[in-house]
Amino acid sequence: MSGNSVIEMVDVRRYFIVGDFVVKALDGITMDIRQGEFVSIMGPSGSGKSTMMNMIGCLDRPTSGIIRIDGTNTTEFSERDLAYVRNEKIGFVFQQFNLLGKLSALDNVMTPLLYARISPRERKEIAIEALERVGLGERMKHRPNELSGGQKQRVAIARALVNNPSLILADEPTGALDTKTGNQIMELFEQLNAEGRTIVLVTHNRELGMACRRQILIRDGRLED
Amino acid sequence: MIWENIKLAFSSMKVNKMRTLLSLLGIIIGVGAVVAILTLGNSATASISSSISAGGLEMVSIFPASGQKSSETFDEQFCETLKSSVDGIDFVLPVNTGTSKLRNGQKTTNAQISGVPSNYAALLNYEAEAGSFFSQNDNLLKRQVCVLGSDIANELFPDGNAVGQYVSIFRTQAKSYQVVGVMKSKDPLLSIMFDNFVYIPYNTFTQRFRKVSMVGSYVVRTSDDADPIKVGDSITNYLNALVGKDAYDLFSPATLAEMSKSITSTFSNFLAAIAAISLLVGGIGIMNIMLVSVSERTREIGVRKALGATNRDIMGQFITEAVALTMVGGFFGIVVGTAISVAVTNLVSWTLHISYSSYIIAVGFSMIIGLFFGWYPARKAARLDPIESLNYE
Ligand SMILES: Nc1ncnc2c1ncn2[C@@H]1O[C@H](COP(=O)(O)OP(=O)(O)OP(=O)(O)O)[C@@H](O)[C@H]1O
Ligand SMILES: [Mg+2]
Repeated sequence: MSGNSVIEMVDVRRYFIVGDFVVKALDGITMDIRQGEFVSIMGPSGSGKSTMMNMIGCLDRPTSGIIRIDGTNTTEFSERDLAYVRNEKIGFVFQQFNLLGKLSALDNVMTPLLYARISPRERKEIAIEALERVGLGERMKHRPNELSGGQKQRVAIARALVNNPSLILADEPTGALDTKTGNQIMELFEQLNAEGRTIVLVTHNRELGMACRRQILIRDGRLED
Repeated sequence: MIWENIKLAFSSMKVNKMRTLLSLLGIIIGVGAVVAILTLGNSATASISSSISAGGLEMVSIFPASGQKSSETFDEQFCETLKSSVDGIDFVLPVNTGTSKLRNGQKTTNAQISGVPSNYAALLNYEAEAGSFFSQNDNLLKRQVCVLGSDIANELFPDGNAVGQYVSIFRTQAKSYQVVGVMKSKDPLLSIMFDNFVYIPYNTFTQRFRKVSMVGSYVVRTSDDADPIKVGDSITNYLNALVGKDAYDLFSPATLAEMSKSITSTFSNFLAAIAAISLLVGGIGIMNIMLVSVSERTREIGVRKALGATNRDIMGQFITEAVALTMVGGFFGIVVGTAISVAVTNLVSWTLHISYSSYIIAVGFSMIIGLFFGWYPARKAARLDPIESLNYE
């Protein structure tokens, strides 16, 4: 736990204006996540977990506050620079897998490398390696609709891994899976963490959450201790 | 990157083949029309110049119109006047023509009866199959003799042996003419036809068929060393000064070229209008289908952005898709346009001259339309908010 800070948030707020109301999805979050950590973010529905993930993942900007990724303040970044950060430093895993339906597993995993402007040959090599890492070396040519839920999520994890990101963000990655498959996916995350990868995971499941090394509890947009 | 985008474009076209085809209809018709215009224009020009160089180029026909000026000017002597007034004329022949019923025994037919000088056949290289053309004496003595064009001869004398026989030519009453010659078949020289004519001596015609001295028409042959189109123009200028342009019609190679030009240009304008409208409609169709595609794939766009696609990457993907779409349309358009050209050239019996530059223009047009009408949907895709897109159902 002595690694460098991968994510640092200082008094981050995210307000949504809905009609006459201001929804304070994040209301002054200060925390940091260090390299090699395996963190779960837990809290009731609507507490701001996904909003926080979107902040960390550079998909959204805070209303105020500072976010640093690998020590770099991203709050003033241009749209394009944020895309680069997402491409180089973040790997997303979604509850609904979000694979590209027309592409094979291999092409899905190659997509982040495409945006990183890596040559086709290298793309393929690295993507095959990532698919083999998640145990899908045999399913590379399959389309998402030819894969089970667990397999889809493995492809998604391979895709999150493939750019060798600073951290992997998983928003309820087991939410759409049965318990057994969910546990297998959790196991995979634990292995990846053991290999030194930093993982942030949102979950409703207390059991899964408590299994992580560290928990961040959030309620009404604020941290609970 | 471009290559990946092209592959993506084709895979999304394949998902919805029918929809793709329908959305391309406008482009296909538009590009088809452009290709057809250029190919037909090409073929028309080539056919006209080849038919002109095939012969008949040296002939000019003058047709006096009715009117006082005309009847005072256009008599037999005018042949000499014209020849001496305009440079580059080889000879001028007066020709009078009327339609009559012709009979040999039970067989009757309608024919063009032409009263011409006795040197008409020789000067126009019109050869006899049997017998000979009538003589100068026949003309001077206004004899009732005739020479049959090959079609007429075949109709009235299917067994041959027409020479020496008699045919009746009806005007107010039937008169008997002795056949002195049957001519070989000859292709028309510009406006001058041969095979469906019956020739009688000029003076006989004037006496029997015509009460006025005005000549029906003049056949002018230009000298070999003169440019026929220029001579045609000089004759026009001379006649305009002499009698005014309403007093006659003139038919020359230039007239022919102009006529075909105006036919093809009418045709081209028509097709160009179709092309312009279709391309506009087609472009809007592309825009529409691309907007549909963008909204259907909102989630995909969100995912791509989460994976690190910049706005420009997304823009590139959708622009490529629009251009690939219109290029496919352009390809089908080329096929359709070429098919139309083949059909039309067959119909009007021109030789097909494929215009390869039209293919290049078609491809260019398609690309520009894809860029132009794909730009707005692509920009819309690029500007989608990543989170909203990811949460889009
Ligand atoms: N785009 C938005 N516009 C308005 N309000 C929003 C928007 N996004 C989130 N919110 C609000 O912010 C709050 C936090 O939402 P968030 O999605 O972060 O909750 P969550 O903890 O992920 O919930 P869940 O466990 O159900 O996924 C909620 O009250 C939500 O309604
Ligand atoms: Mg959530």
